[in-house]
Amino acid sequence: MDLMHERDVTWDSSRGEAAGSAGSVALENRDGTAVLRVDGALDLALAPKLRRLAERAAQLQPTMLVIDLTGVTFLASAGMAELIRAHRGPTASAPLRVVASGRITLRPLELTRLADELAIYPSLSDALVP
Amino acid sequence: MPSGPEFDAVLDAVRRTFVDGDSAPAATAVRPLEPAEARAVLGDHVAIAVTDRTVLADLVPGQDITRAIAIAGGEHGALVYTTRETGELPSAIAGAIEAATANLARTVRQLQGEAALLDALHAIGRELTAQLDIDRIVQDATDAATKATGAGFGAFFYNLIDEFGESYTLYTISGVPREAFARFPMPRNTEVFAPTFDGAGTVRSPDITKDPRFGKNAPHHGMPEGHLPVCSYLAVSVLSPTSGEVLGGFFFGHPEPDRFTPRHAYLAEGIAGYTAIALDNARLYDRERSLATELSRSMLPVAPPTPGLDVFTRYLPAATGSKVGGDWFDVIRLPSDATAFVIGDVAGHGVTAATVMGQVRTAIRSYALLELPPSEVLRNVSELTVGLFGESFVTCFYAVHRPADGTLVYANAGHLPAILVRPGEAPEQIGEALAQPLGVGSKFPQRTAGFPPGADLILYTDGLVESRTRDLTLGIEWLLAGIPGVLTAADLGKAWDKLVDDLTRGRHDDDIAVIHVHHRGEDAS
Repeated sequence: MDLMHERDVTWDSSRGEAAGSAGSVALENRDGTAVLRVDGALDLALAPKLRRLAERAAQLQPTMLVIDLTGVTFLASAGMAELIRAHRGPTASAPLRVVASGRITLRPLELTRLADELAIYPSLSDALVP
Repeated sequence: MPSGPEFDAVLDAVRRTFVDGDSAPAATAVRPLEPAEARAVLGDHVAIAVTDRTVLADLVPGQDITRAIAIAGGEHGALVYTTRETGELPSAIAGAIEAATANLARTVRQLQGEAALLDALHAIGRELTAQLDIDRIVQDATDAATKATGAGFGAFFYNLIDEFGESYTLYTISGVPREAFARFPMPRNTEVFAPTFDGAGTVRSPDITKDPRFGKNAPHHGMPEGHLPVCSYLAVSVLSPTSGEVLGGFFFGHPEPDRFTPRHAYLAEGIAGYTAIALDNARLYDRERSLATELSRSMLPVAPPTPGLDVFTRYLPAATGSKVGGDWFDVIRLPSDATAFVIGDVAGHGVTAATVMGQVRTAIRSYALLELPPSEVLRNVSELTVGLFGESFVTCFYAVHRPADGTLVYANAGHLPAILVRPGEAPEQIGEALAQPLGVGSKFPQRTAGFPPGADLILYTDGLVESRTRDLTLGIEWLLAGIPGVLTAADLGKAWDKLVDDLTRGRHDDDIAVIHVHHRGEDAS
C-alpha cells in the first residue's frame, strides 16, 4: 500500500481552552483513492487547510476522493463551501465521496440541501467500496 | 553517570595513576556522582583530589579510603578511589588534569552560556510573536528585557495612533512599581533620548551622568528630582520591520556603574526585534479587524418605518477573533406597500467577506425593488454571485410581507429556517431546507404563509444558535424555547439581549444578526 501522510494542524488561540479547538486535516493515499480525514471544528480556521490538501490530493490524480468528516465536531458554512468546491470546483478531477454520520455534520448538509448533491456515506469503509 | 568512550578513557587513565610503592597498579573502585554530588564535591573544577574524611565517608560509607580523585563528566561525575597505600599524590594528578583541560572547560562553559542565551532569546521571541494583544506584548517584552539585561528597572515607551490619526505615547515599567514614574512627564527628545527615539542605534553607557549629552536640557538638567537613580544606562530602539518607522524604545537603568555588557545590549536588541514584529502583527491585525467591522456596520440599514409593523433588529459583530464581516440584514419598503425582510451570511471573514456581503445586499435590494417574486430574486442573485465572485457560499432568507392579502411570501437559500408565531399558536419553523445557498443553487422555490395581526416573524443568523461548543439542533431548540419569553417582555431590546446572552453564554465568536417583526395590527398607514 502506497502511504503518504501529510498533516496540517491549526490552533486558534483566541478561543480559549474550553472549546478544545484544535482541528486537523490529514491526507492519505489508499490504493489510488485519496482520503482526507478532517478532525475538530471545520470552520474558517481549518477550511483553507482542507482546500490546500484537497488540491494536493487532486495532483495525485486519484481514482476517487473521500473526505471523511467522522471526527468533525462543528461544520460551519466555510467548511461546506470547501466540500462544494471539491465536488464542483476547477480542481475537482475525481468523484467525491463524503463520510458523515451524526447530526453535527448531517444537519447542516441537509439545511443547505448539499446532501441532495453530495454522495454521503455513513462510514469510511462504506465509502471505500468501489 | 556520564557514559561514552571519552569519559571511560579519562576514568581509565586516572585509575592507572594509582600505583603502589613498587609502581604496580593498585586496586581502585569507582563511585558515580549524581549532578548534585558532583557540584558539591567539584565546584567549578574538572578534577580534584578529595581528602576530606567526612565527604568520603558520606559518598562511600564503611571504607577506609586512602586516596581519591573526583572527575567531572558533564553534569555528573565520578569518584575514583583506593584503600591501598599508593605512591604518588592524587592532588598532583588532579592538578595535571586540571591544567590539561582548563581551556577546554572554559570553552565548554562559554558555549553553554551562549546556548542558554540563545535559548532564552528564542523562547522570548516565540512568546512575543504569538500574541496579538498590544498591551500584553509590551508588558511581556519589558519584563523579559529587564530580566535579561539584569537592569534595576526597565521601561518601554511606544507610539500609537488614535482614531483621529494623531500619535500618542504610552509606556510600561518593569522592575519597579509604576507609581515610581507616575509623577514624571513623558521623556522628551533630549540629547540622551534622541538616538533611541530617532532609531539611530543602541546607547550603552557605564555612567550616563558622566555622558557629555547628559544634563543639557532645561528645566531639570539631568534627572527630575525624585527620579529613580540611574547610573548604568542602556537604550535600544524598536523599529517596524515593514515600514522602518520607530515604534518605540526600551530604556534600562541601574543605580550602579558599568552594569550593562555588550551581551546585555545584544539581548535587548534581540528582544526589541521580536517586539517590533509582534507590534507590527498586532497593528495590522487590528487594522483589518476594525476595517471589516466598519464596513459591515456602514452597510447595515436603519429599518425604515413600516406601517402596521414593529421591526426590531440587532447586529452584533463577532466578539472574538477575526470572524467579523459576513452577516447582514435588510428591511426594504417596496413600491407596492409590501415590505421585504432579508437576512444572510457570507462564508468567509474580514474585508473580503464584508465586500461580497455589500454587493450581494445591493443586488438583492435592486431585484427586490423590481418586485420580483422571492424565488426570482434569489435565482437572479445566485447567478450574479457566481458571475461576480466565482465559487461562493452565501445563505439568505428572503421574505415579503404583503399587507393587502395578509401573507408572507418567502424563499430560503440554504439559510436557517425562520420562526413564525401566530397568535395563540406555538412557535413554528418555516422555510427549512428549501434550497441551496446563493452561488451554489439555481432553483429557489417559494412558499406562502398567513401573517395576521398579532403574529411575529423572527429571522436570525447561525451565530445565535451554533458554535464550536453548541450543536445546531440543540441551539435551535433553545431559541424556540426562549421565544415566548421575548414576546411577552415589556422591553423587547432587553429581552433580546438577555436571550442572546443566554444562548451564547455571553461569548459569541461569530457575527449575530436578528430581525424580529411584530404585526401590530391595522393602524393608520
